[in-house]
Amino acid sequence: MDFILDGLQQAFVLLISGHEETFSAIWVTVCVSSMSVAASLAIGVPLGFLLGYARFPGKRPVRTIVDTLLSFPTVLIGLLVYAFLTRRGPLGGLGLLFTLPGIAIGQTILGSPVVIAMTATAVESLDRRLNTTLLTLGAGARQILLTTLWEARFSVALAAMAAYGRIVSEVGISMMIGGNIKWHTRTITTAIALETGKGEFAMGIALGLVLMLIALLVNLAMSGLRKKVEP
Amino acid sequence: MIAHRKNNGLYELEGIIQQYGARTVLQVDCLTIDPNRIVGLSGPNGSGKSTLLRILAFLEDPVAGTVFFDGKPCSMRQDAVRKKVTLLSQEPYLLKRSVEANVAYGLKVRGEADTSKKVAEALDMVGLPAYRFAKRSWHELSGGEAQRVALATRLVLRPAVLLLDEPTSSLDAESTQRIKEASVAARQEWKATLVVASHDMPWLESVCDSILGLDDGRLVHQAPA
Repeated sequence: MDFILDGLQQAFVLLISGHEETFSAIWVTVCVSSMSVAASLAIGVPLGFLLGYARFPGKRPVRTIVDTLLSFPTVLIGLLVYAFLTRRGPLGGLGLLFTLPGIAIGQTILGSPVVIAMTATAVESLDRRLNTTLLTLGAGARQILLTTLWEARFSVALAAMAAYGRIVSEVGISMMIGGNIKWHTRTITTAIALETGKGEFAMGIALGLVLMLIALLVNLAMSGLRKKVEP
Repeated sequence: MIAHRKNNGLYELEGIIQQYGARTVLQVDCLTIDPNRIVGLSGPNGSGKSTLLRILAFLEDPVAGTVFFDGKPCSMRQDAVRKKVTLLSQEPYLLKRSVEANVAYGLKVRGEADTSKKVAEALDMVGLPAYRFAKRSWHELSGGEAQRVALATRLVLRPAVLLLDEPTSSLDAESTQRIKEASVAARQEWKATLVVASHDMPWLESVCDSILGLDDGRLVHQAPA
């Protein structure tokens, strides 16, 4: 039990003293997860709108596939992306393996289904009178798209936060695509896995605390948004 | 070749049939609505009043027949025509934003940047002073206030045609009176054509130039009020 308490004490020292290696992992995590969430939103919001708003043949199977992708194992995504980015793979020439953009590609595949599914649900659950109102006020197709998303803005923001939560806490993709390279591609989760394996609990606990703080902030923001959705 | 009409009717409906699934909900062989008139629609629930209004608003196309607007055959795909016509339904929807933003929405859709004066005028028309209501959020309004804001969002556009579907049902006396006055003002101020569906026969008889009776999706009578 003592080693845990010692680790906790040392963890605070690492955080307060601005330990470079610890903060490198935090910075890498913030950078790569921001890229991944931005890409997930850019892909997921328009597709989610289409899935929720439009009627087309095969909509139900598409929805089932998206819902299935919500529980896609991160190591499987890591394996697939690795196969594409490795030197022998079809995208090997891009040199993205063991880079932050490489990790971001994998994490975008992880986060996009979350955004698509939640945006589609948000659009589907909007009041049916919205569309009639927009049409009768003279809105065109583009204005209907933008206004509908704006009406669902709190739910779309919830989708972004849920995707962020999934992305920032994953370890399989970061480990396999990023390679856990110190100062370069080592994220909070891969650093915790490595340091714990080495018996270095202090850094693992310090990074764990930061991860918990991020999760807490995301949760607080989500509950604040929920209150706005249902005033 | 597209058939154009030279008659004076703002709307001319020919052979209109509307079906939802296998059920025929509206069947109007011939109907003309002249410009700058107030036309009432009466009939029991399910008689086809709302369906007729949605077709007149170009929110849905009939499965058969042609709607001529201003002499030209029109459909819901024509944004330019839809911008001349607006419908206020029985339970209107307000966007999740302020009253001012709701009323200004249609103006912004039309590319107007400076909307505050028009918004204030429209709110005044429905008896909601802008200084008290403009900044309120959508969820801070009573049912009657929300209905009046919804009417203001239509009036601010100064539409050529204002279609009202049971606009005063389940409202308090003051809101009902304000909506009635503001609707009639639309014709007086910019010569709008109004089509009003209501169960309030005394009101229809007092303001309408003619009243159409619908039953089971068919026009059963057409008479001056």
